[in-house]
Amino acid sequence: MTAIALTTVLRRRSDVRYRLIEGEAVVLRQSAAEVLVLNGVGAAVLDLADGERPVAEWIEALAREYDADAETLARDVLAFAGELREAGLLEEIVAEDPP
Amino acid sequence: MTFGDGFLRFPDLFPGRRGGEPWGDRTLVLDVAGGPYRVTGLSAAQEEAARHKFGGLCREGEMAAEVAVQVFRAAPTDFLDRDVRGWEYTLDRDYSPGSVLLAGLRLMARIDWTPALAGGLWTSWSGGEEWASVFENYLRVLVAYRLLEEGGAMLHSAGVTDGTSAWLLLGPSGAGKTTSSRLCLARGGTVLSDDLNAVRLENGARPRLTWLPFAGDLGGQAGAQAGYPLAPLAAVLRLKQGTENRLRPLSPATALAGLVAAAPFVNHDPWRRELLLSALERLARSVPAYELVFSLDGGLWDILKTIPS
Repeated sequence: MTAIALTTVLRRRSDVRYRLIEGEAVVLRQSAAEVLVLNGVGAAVLDLADGERPVAEWIEALAREYDADAETLARDVLAFAGELREAGLLEEIVAEDPP
Repeated sequence: MTFGDGFLRFPDLFPGRRGGEPWGDRTLVLDVAGGPYRVTGLSAAQEEAARHKFGGLCREGEMAAEVAVQVFRAAPTDFLDRDVRGWEYTLDRDYSPGSVLLAGLRLMARIDWTPALAGGLWTSWSGGEEWASVFENYLRVLVAYRLLEEGGAMLHSAGVTDGTSAWLLLGPSGAGKTTSSRLCLARGGTVLSDDLNAVRLENGARPRLTWLPFAGDLGGQAGAQAGYPLAPLAAVLRLKQGTENRLRPLSPATALAGLVAAAPFVNHDPWRRELLLSALERLARSVPAYELVFSLDGGLWDILKTIPS
Protein backbone atom coordinates (compact mmCIF):
# COMPACT_ATOMS: atom_id res chain seq x y z
CA MET A 1 0.00 0.00 0.00
CA THR A 2 1.51 3.35 -1.02
CA ALA A 3 2.04 6.15 1.48
CA ILE A 4 -0.48 8.94 1.45
CA ALA A 5 0.90 12.17 -0.01
CA LEU A 6 -0.47 15.70 -0.25
CA THR A 7 -1.58 14.96 -3.82
CA THR A 8 -3.43 11.75 -2.89
CA VAL A 9 -7.19 11.76 -3.52
CA LEU A 10 -9.27 9.64 -1.17
CA ARG A 11 -12.94 8.92 -0.88
CA ARG A 12 -15.17 7.20 1.61
CA ARG A 13 -15.81 3.57 0.71
CA SER A 14 -19.28 2.98 -0.65
CA ASP A 15 -20.33 0.84 2.33
CA VAL A 16 -19.49 3.54 4.87
CA ARG A 17 -22.38 5.36 6.51
CA TYR A 18 -21.83 8.12 9.02
CA ARG A 19 -23.49 10.84 11.05
CA LEU A 20 -21.91 14.02 12.32
CA ILE A 21 -23.17 14.95 15.76
CA GLU A 22 -21.86 17.88 17.72
CA GLY A 23 -18.42 17.70 16.17
CA GLU A 24 -17.97 13.95 16.33
CA ALA A 25 -18.71 11.27 13.76
CA VAL A 26 -20.40 7.91 14.23
CA VAL A 27 -19.27 5.62 11.46
CA LEU A 28 -20.71 2.32 10.31
CA ARG A 29 -19.22 -0.03 7.82
CA GLN A 30 -22.09 -1.99 6.34
CA SER A 31 -19.96 -4.95 5.40
CA ALA A 32 -18.41 -5.39 8.82
CA ALA A 33 -21.17 -4.30 11.23
CA GLU A 34 -18.69 -2.10 13.09
CA VAL A 35 -19.48 1.14 14.86
CA LEU A 36 -16.74 3.72 15.38
CA VAL A 37 -16.72 7.17 16.96
CA LEU A 38 -14.27 9.69 15.50
CA ASN A 39 -13.23 12.92 17.20
CA GLY A 40 -13.61 16.33 15.62
CA VAL A 41 -10.58 16.14 13.33
CA GLY A 42 -11.45 12.58 12.33
CA ALA A 43 -15.00 13.60 11.57
CA ALA A 44 -13.78 16.51 9.48
CA VAL A 45 -11.36 14.29 7.54
CA LEU A 46 -14.10 11.77 6.84
CA ASP A 47 -16.39 14.53 5.67
CA LEU A 48 -13.69 16.00 3.41
CA ALA A 49 -12.93 12.67 1.72
CA ASP A 50 -15.19 13.29 -1.25
CA GLY A 51 -13.03 11.68 -3.91
CA GLU A 52 -12.34 15.02 -5.57
CA ARG A 53 -10.11 17.13 -3.36
CA PRO A 54 -6.50 16.05 -2.69
CA VAL A 55 -5.28 15.80 0.90
CA ALA A 56 -3.52 19.16 0.56
CA GLU A 57 -6.90 20.86 0.22
CA TRP A 58 -8.16 19.09 3.34
CA ILE A 59 -5.25 20.53 5.26
CA GLU A 60 -6.00 24.02 3.97
CA ALA A 61 -9.63 23.66 5.00
CA LEU A 62 -8.73 22.35 8.45
CA ALA A 63 -6.12 25.08 8.94
CA ARG A 64 -8.87 27.64 8.50
CA GLU A 65 -10.98 25.86 11.10
CA TYR A 66 -8.38 24.88 13.69
CA ASP A 67 -5.75 27.12 15.16
CA ALA A 68 -2.89 24.68 14.59
CA ASP A 69 0.64 24.83 13.29
CA ALA A 70 0.52 24.01 9.54
CA GLU A 71 3.33 21.47 9.65
CA THR A 72 1.85 19.63 12.62
CA LEU A 73 -1.59 19.68 11.06
CA ALA A 74 -0.26 18.25 7.78
CA ARG A 75 1.56 15.46 9.60
CA ASP A 76 -1.52 14.60 11.69
CA VAL A 77 -3.91 14.63 8.74
CA LEU A 78 -1.64 12.42 6.62
CA ALA A 79 -1.29 9.97 9.48
CA PHE A 80 -4.99 10.00 10.23
CA ALA A 81 -5.96 9.54 6.59
CA GLY A 82 -3.66 6.53 6.54
CA GLU A 83 -5.36 5.08 9.60
CA LEU A 84 -8.81 5.56 8.08
CA ARG A 85 -7.64 3.88 4.89
CA GLU A 86 -6.11 1.05 6.93
CA ALA A 87 -9.44 0.67 8.76
CA GLY A 88 -11.21 0.30 5.44
CA LEU A 89 -13.15 3.55 5.69
CA LEU A 90 -11.33 5.39 2.90
CA GLU A 91 -10.00 4.25 -0.44
CA GLU A 92 -7.57 5.90 -2.81
CA ILE A 93 -8.58 7.05 -6.24
CA VAL A 94 -5.81 6.12 -8.60
CA ALA A 95 -5.56 8.23 -11.76
CA GLU A 96 -5.54 6.16 -14.90
CA ASP A 97 -2.17 5.90 -16.60
CA PRO A 98 -1.86 8.12 -19.67
CA PRO A 99 -2.11 6.19 -22.95
CA MET B 1 -20.81 -20.80 4.15
CA THR B 2 -23.95 -19.77 2.30
CA PHE B 3 -27.30 -18.77 3.75
CA GLY B 4 -29.19 -21.58 5.45
CA ASP B 5 -26.73 -24.41 4.94
CA GLY B 6 -26.13 -24.73 8.67
CA PHE B 7 -29.80 -25.47 9.31
CA LEU B 8 -31.50 -26.53 6.10
CA ARG B 9 -31.07 -29.73 4.13
CA PHE B 10 -31.98 -27.99 0.89
CA PRO B 11 -31.10 -24.28 1.19
CA ASP B 12 -31.68 -23.79 -2.52
CA LEU B 13 -35.35 -24.69 -2.01
CA PHE B 14 -35.95 -21.88 0.49
CA PRO B 15 -39.47 -20.51 -0.16
CA GLY B 16 -39.35 -17.75 -2.70
CA ARG B 17 -42.62 -16.25 -1.51
CA ARG B 18 -45.09 -16.49 1.37
CA GLY B 19 -47.06 -19.59 0.48
CA GLY B 20 -47.53 -23.25 1.29
CA GLU B 21 -49.76 -25.53 3.31
CA PRO B 22 -51.05 -23.94 6.54
CA TRP B 23 -50.90 -26.00 9.71
CA GLY B 24 -54.56 -25.26 10.40
CA ASP B 25 -57.28 -22.63 10.35
CA ARG B 26 -56.66 -21.02 13.73
CA THR B 27 -55.82 -17.32 14.05
CA LEU B 28 -54.15 -15.44 16.88
CA VAL B 29 -53.90 -11.67 17.30
CA LEU B 30 -50.95 -10.53 19.41
CA ASP B 31 -50.96 -7.02 20.85
CA VAL B 32 -47.21 -6.44 20.96
CA ALA B 33 -45.45 -3.12 20.29
CA GLY B 34 -45.60 -2.24 16.61
CA GLY B 35 -48.66 -4.43 16.14
CA PRO B 36 -51.13 -5.89 16.56
CA TYR B 37 -49.78 -8.93 14.71
CA ARG B 38 -52.32 -11.31 13.14
CA VAL B 39 -50.95 -14.85 12.96
CA THR B 40 -52.88 -17.20 10.67
CA GLY B 41 -52.54 -20.82 9.58
CA LEU B 42 -52.09 -22.18 13.09
CA SER B 43 -53.02 -25.65 14.31
CA ALA B 44 -55.01 -25.91 17.54
CA ALA B 45 -51.87 -27.06 19.38
CA GLN B 46 -49.83 -24.16 18.01
CA GLU B 47 -52.49 -21.66 19.03
CA GLU B 48 -52.66 -23.15 22.51
CA ALA B 49 -48.89 -23.03 22.97
CA ALA B 50 -48.68 -19.45 21.71
CA ARG B 51 -51.52 -18.40 24.02
CA HIS B 52 -49.73 -20.05 26.93
CA LYS B 53 -46.51 -18.18 26.09
CA PHE B 54 -47.99 -14.75 25.38
CA GLY B 55 -50.98 -14.88 27.71
CA GLY B 56 -52.53 -11.47 28.21
CA LEU B 57 -51.21 -10.15 24.91
CA CYS B 58 -53.60 -12.34 22.92
CA ARG B 59 -56.63 -10.44 21.68
CA GLU B 60 -59.95 -11.89 20.66
CA GLY B 61 -62.22 -11.14 17.73
CA GLU B 62 -61.61 -9.13 14.64
CA MET B 63 -59.17 -6.59 16.07
CA ALA B 64 -57.49 -4.73 13.22
CA ALA B 65 -53.91 -5.89 12.77
CA GLU B 66 -50.97 -3.96 11.38
CA VAL B 67 -48.79 -6.94 10.50
CA ALA B 68 -49.89 -10.26 8.98
CA VAL B 69 -47.95 -13.45 9.67
CA GLN B 70 -48.73 -16.73 7.93
CA VAL B 71 -47.58 -20.05 9.36
CA PHE B 72 -46.91 -22.99 7.05
CA ARG B 73 -46.11 -26.65 7.40
CA ALA B 74 -42.58 -27.90 6.70
CA ALA B 75 -41.32 -31.47 6.78
CA PRO B 76 -38.84 -32.49 9.51
CA THR B 77 -36.60 -33.73 6.72
CA ASP B 78 -36.28 -30.15 5.43
CA PHE B 79 -34.06 -29.39 8.42
CA LEU B 80 -30.67 -30.60 9.58
CA ASP B 81 -30.31 -32.08 13.06
CA ARG B 82 -27.89 -29.96 15.04
CA ASP B 83 -26.13 -30.69 18.31
CA VAL B 84 -26.60 -27.37 20.11
CA ARG B 85 -24.70 -28.19 23.32
CA GLY B 86 -22.31 -25.37 24.20
CA TRP B 87 -23.45 -23.39 21.22
CA GLU B 88 -24.86 -19.88 21.09
CA TYR B 89 -27.86 -20.07 18.80
CA THR B 90 -28.19 -17.34 16.20
CA LEU B 91 -30.60 -17.26 13.31
CA ASP B 92 -28.98 -17.27 9.91
CA ARG B 93 -30.07 -14.18 7.94
CA ASP B 94 -29.99 -13.10 4.33
CA TYR B 95 -30.79 -9.46 3.56
CA SER B 96 -32.08 -7.89 0.37
CA PRO B 97 -33.89 -4.62 -0.39
CA GLY B 98 -37.34 -6.18 -0.27
CA SER B 99 -36.95 -9.11 2.12
CA VAL B 100 -35.08 -10.67 4.99
CA LEU B 101 -34.78 -14.46 5.01
CA LEU B 102 -34.22 -16.39 8.22
CA ALA B 103 -33.11 -19.95 8.87
CA GLY B 104 -32.76 -21.67 12.22
CA LEU B 105 -33.57 -24.80 14.18
CA ARG B 106 -36.69 -26.22 12.51
CA LEU B 107 -37.38 -22.74 11.21
CA MET B 108 -37.52 -21.07 7.82
CA ALA B 109 -39.02 -17.61 7.69
CA ARG B 110 -39.16 -14.42 5.75
CA ILE B 111 -40.11 -10.81 6.26
CA ASP B 112 -41.28 -8.95 3.16
CA TRP B 113 -41.91 -5.30 2.54
CA THR B 114 -44.09 -5.61 -0.53
CA PRO B 115 -46.74 -4.32 -0.46
CA ALA B 116 -46.58 -3.88 3.34
CA LEU B 117 -44.49 -5.49 6.04
CA ALA B 118 -45.65 -9.10 6.39
CA GLY B 119 -44.21 -12.37 7.57
CA GLY B 120 -44.13 -16.04 6.66
CA LEU B 121 -42.94 -18.84 8.94
CA TRP B 122 -42.35 -22.49 8.01
CA THR B 123 -41.70 -25.06 10.72
CA SER B 124 -42.07 -28.77 11.33
CA TRP B 125 -43.17 -28.32 14.97
CA SER B 126 -46.90 -28.90 15.27
CA GLY B 127 -47.18 -27.41 18.78
CA GLY B 128 -45.69 -27.53 22.26
CA GLU B 129 -42.79 -25.60 23.74
CA GLU B 130 -40.58 -26.26 20.72
CA TRP B 131 -43.09 -24.53 18.45
CA ALA B 132 -43.52 -21.67 20.90
CA SER B 133 -39.75 -21.14 20.96
CA VAL B 134 -39.55 -21.14 17.16
CA PHE B 135 -42.38 -18.62 17.05
CA GLU B 136 -40.83 -16.35 19.67
CA ASN B 137 -37.46 -16.40 17.90
CA TYR B 138 -39.16 -15.30 14.73
CA LEU B 139 -41.36 -12.73 16.47
CA ARG B 140 -38.32 -11.03 17.99
CA VAL B 141 -36.90 -10.32 14.55
CA LEU B 142 -40.26 -9.31 13.10
CA VAL B 143 -40.93 -6.86 15.95
CA ALA B 144 -37.43 -5.36 15.57
CA TYR B 145 -38.14 -4.60 11.92
CA ARG B 146 -41.65 -3.37 12.59
CA LEU B 147 -40.45 -0.93 15.25
CA LEU B 148 -37.76 0.31 12.87
CA GLU B 149 -40.39 0.86 10.22
CA GLU B 150 -42.31 2.97 12.72
CA GLY B 151 -39.21 5.06 13.40
CA GLY B 152 -38.32 3.36 16.69
CA ALA B 153 -36.02 0.55 17.69
CA MET B 154 -35.72 -2.64 19.69
CA LEU B 155 -32.65 -2.52 21.89
CA HIS B 156 -30.64 -5.16 23.71
CA SER B 157 -30.89 -3.51 27.12
CA ALA B 158 -32.36 -3.45 30.58
CA GLY B 159 -35.39 -1.19 30.92
CA VAL B 160 -36.39 0.10 34.36
CA THR B 161 -39.03 2.57 35.48
CA ASP B 162 -40.46 4.16 38.60
CA GLY B 163 -43.79 4.63 36.84
CA THR B 164 -43.05 8.23 35.97
CA SER B 165 -39.70 8.05 34.23
CA ALA B 166 -37.85 5.22 32.51
CA TRP B 167 -34.16 4.49 32.01
CA LEU B 168 -32.49 2.38 29.40
CA LEU B 169 -29.39 0.51 30.57
CA LEU B 170 -27.06 -0.63 27.80
CA GLY B 171 -24.06 -2.87 27.73
CA PRO B 172 -22.77 -6.03 26.15
CA SER B 173 -23.38 -9.42 27.75
CA GLY B 174 -21.77 -9.42 31.19
CA ALA B 175 -21.91 -5.65 31.61
CA GLY B 176 -24.50 -5.96 34.37
CA LYS B 177 -27.94 -5.53 32.83
CA THR B 178 -29.50 -8.24 34.97
CA THR B 179 -27.50 -7.26 38.06
CA SER B 180 -28.45 -3.59 37.79
CA SER B 181 -32.07 -4.60 37.13
CA ARG B 182 -32.11 -6.64 40.33
CA LEU B 183 -30.71 -3.67 42.28
CA CYS B 184 -33.43 -1.41 40.90
CA LEU B 185 -36.09 -4.01 41.66
CA ALA B 186 -34.88 -4.25 45.25
CA ARG B 187 -35.34 -0.50 45.65
CA GLY B 188 -38.89 -0.49 44.37
CA GLY B 189 -38.35 -0.03 40.67
CA THR B 190 -40.10 -1.98 37.95
CA VAL B 191 -38.05 -3.98 35.49
CA LEU B 192 -39.61 -4.09 32.04
CA SER B 193 -37.07 -6.51 30.66
CA ASP B 194 -33.41 -7.22 31.30
CA ASP B 195 -32.93 -8.34 27.70
CA LEU B 196 -34.95 -6.51 25.02
CA ASN B 197 -36.88 -3.25 25.20
CA ALA B 198 -38.45 -0.98 22.62
CA VAL B 199 -38.04 2.75 22.19
CA ARG B 200 -40.75 4.59 20.30
CA LEU B 201 -40.20 8.03 18.88
CA GLU B 202 -43.12 10.23 18.08
CA ASN B 203 -42.78 13.64 16.52
CA GLY B 204 -42.26 16.31 19.12
CA ALA B 205 -42.71 13.99 22.07
CA ARG B 206 -40.08 12.65 24.42
CA PRO B 207 -39.03 9.10 23.41
CA ARG B 208 -40.89 6.45 25.36
CA LEU B 209 -39.58 3.19 26.63
CA THR B 210 -41.99 0.45 25.67
CA TRP B 211 -42.31 -3.01 27.08
CA LEU B 212 -41.73 -6.13 25.00
CA PRO B 213 -42.55 -9.72 26.00
CA PHE B 214 -38.93 -10.78 25.53
CA ALA B 215 -37.15 -10.98 28.85
CA GLY B 216 -34.11 -12.78 30.17
CA ASP B 217 -34.15 -13.45 33.92
CA LEU B 218 -36.27 -10.43 34.88
CA GLY B 219 -39.30 -8.66 33.48
CA GLY B 220 -41.55 -10.20 30.93
CA GLN B 221 -44.89 -9.49 32.56
CA ALA B 222 -44.50 -5.95 33.85
CA GLY B 223 -45.66 -4.34 30.64
CA ALA B 224 -48.57 -6.69 30.19
CA GLN B 225 -49.85 -5.49 33.54
CA ALA B 226 -49.05 -1.84 33.00
CA GLY B 227 -49.91 -1.53 29.32
CA TYR B 228 -47.77 0.33 26.84
CA PRO B 229 -46.35 2.79 25.94
CA LEU B 230 -44.83 3.31 29.32
CA ALA B 231 -42.97 6.18 30.89
CA PRO B 232 -40.97 8.80 28.98
CA LEU B 233 -37.33 7.91 28.67
CA ALA B 234 -35.22 10.03 31.03
CA ALA B 235 -31.78 8.81 29.97
CA VAL B 236 -29.73 6.22 28.17
CA LEU B 237 -27.00 4.75 30.34
CA ARG B 238 -23.95 2.70 29.43
CA LEU B 239 -23.27 0.31 32.28
CA LYS B 240 -19.92 -0.23 33.92
CA GLN B 241 -19.48 -2.19 37.12
CA GLY B 242 -17.28 -0.57 39.76
CA THR B 243 -16.86 0.09 43.45
CA GLU B 244 -18.89 3.29 43.61
CA ASN B 245 -21.94 4.85 41.96
CA ARG B 246 -21.49 7.77 39.62
CA LEU B 247 -22.55 9.27 36.32
CA ARG B 248 -20.34 10.57 33.54
CA PRO B 249 -21.98 12.36 30.59
CA LEU B 250 -21.48 10.80 27.17
CA SER B 251 -21.46 12.72 23.92
CA PRO B 252 -24.42 12.15 21.60
CA ALA B 253 -22.04 10.46 19.13
CA THR B 254 -20.82 7.99 21.73
CA ALA B 255 -24.43 7.36 22.73
CA LEU B 256 -25.42 6.76 19.12
CA ALA B 257 -22.58 4.28 18.65
CA GLY B 258 -23.76 2.36 21.71
CA LEU B 259 -27.36 2.40 20.56
CA VAL B 260 -26.48 1.08 17.11
CA ALA B 261 -24.43 -1.72 18.63
CA ALA B 262 -27.42 -2.60 20.86
CA ALA B 263 -29.99 -2.86 18.04
CA PRO B 264 -30.16 -6.60 17.34
CA PHE B 265 -30.91 -8.07 13.91
CA VAL B 266 -31.40 -4.77 12.12
CA ASN B 267 -27.90 -3.42 12.79
CA HIS B 268 -26.45 -6.09 10.52
CA ASP B 269 -28.88 -5.31 7.69
CA PRO B 270 -27.09 -3.25 5.02
CA TRP B 271 -30.36 -2.26 3.35
CA ARG B 272 -31.96 -0.71 6.41
CA ARG B 273 -28.98 0.65 8.34
CA GLU B 274 -29.56 4.19 7.11
CA LEU B 275 -33.07 4.01 8.59
CA LEU B 276 -31.65 2.68 11.85
CA LEU B 277 -29.04 5.44 12.02
CA SER B 278 -31.73 8.08 11.50
CA ALA B 279 -33.99 6.68 14.22
CA LEU B 280 -31.22 6.27 16.75
CA GLU B 281 -29.71 9.66 15.94
CA ARG B 282 -33.05 11.22 16.88
CA LEU B 283 -32.96 9.27 20.12
CA ALA B 284 -29.34 10.23 20.88
CA ARG B 285 -30.10 13.89 20.25
CA SER B 286 -33.24 14.00 22.37
CA VAL B 287 -32.28 12.04 25.50
CA PRO B 288 -29.18 12.58 27.66
CA ALA B 289 -26.67 9.75 27.80
CA TYR B 290 -24.30 8.80 30.57
CA GLU B 291 -21.85 6.17 31.59
CA LEU B 292 -23.24 4.71 34.81
CA VAL B 293 -20.61 3.21 37.05
CA PHE B 294 -22.41 1.17 39.68
CA SER B 295 -21.55 -0.92 42.71
CA LEU B 296 -23.61 -3.67 44.29
CA ASP B 297 -24.84 -1.46 47.16
CA GLY B 298 -27.97 -0.43 45.24
CA GLY B 299 -27.09 3.25 45.11
CA LEU B 300 -27.57 3.33 41.36
CA TRP B 301 -31.33 3.66 41.82
CA ASP B 302 -30.86 6.92 43.74
CA ILE B 303 -28.54 8.18 41.02
CA LEU B 304 -31.04 7.36 38.28
CA LYS B 305 -33.71 9.34 40.10
CA THR B 306 -31.48 12.43 40.17
CA ILE B 307 -31.50 12.63 36.36
CA PRO B 308 -34.05 15.28 35.33
CA SER B 309 -36.98 13.92 33.33
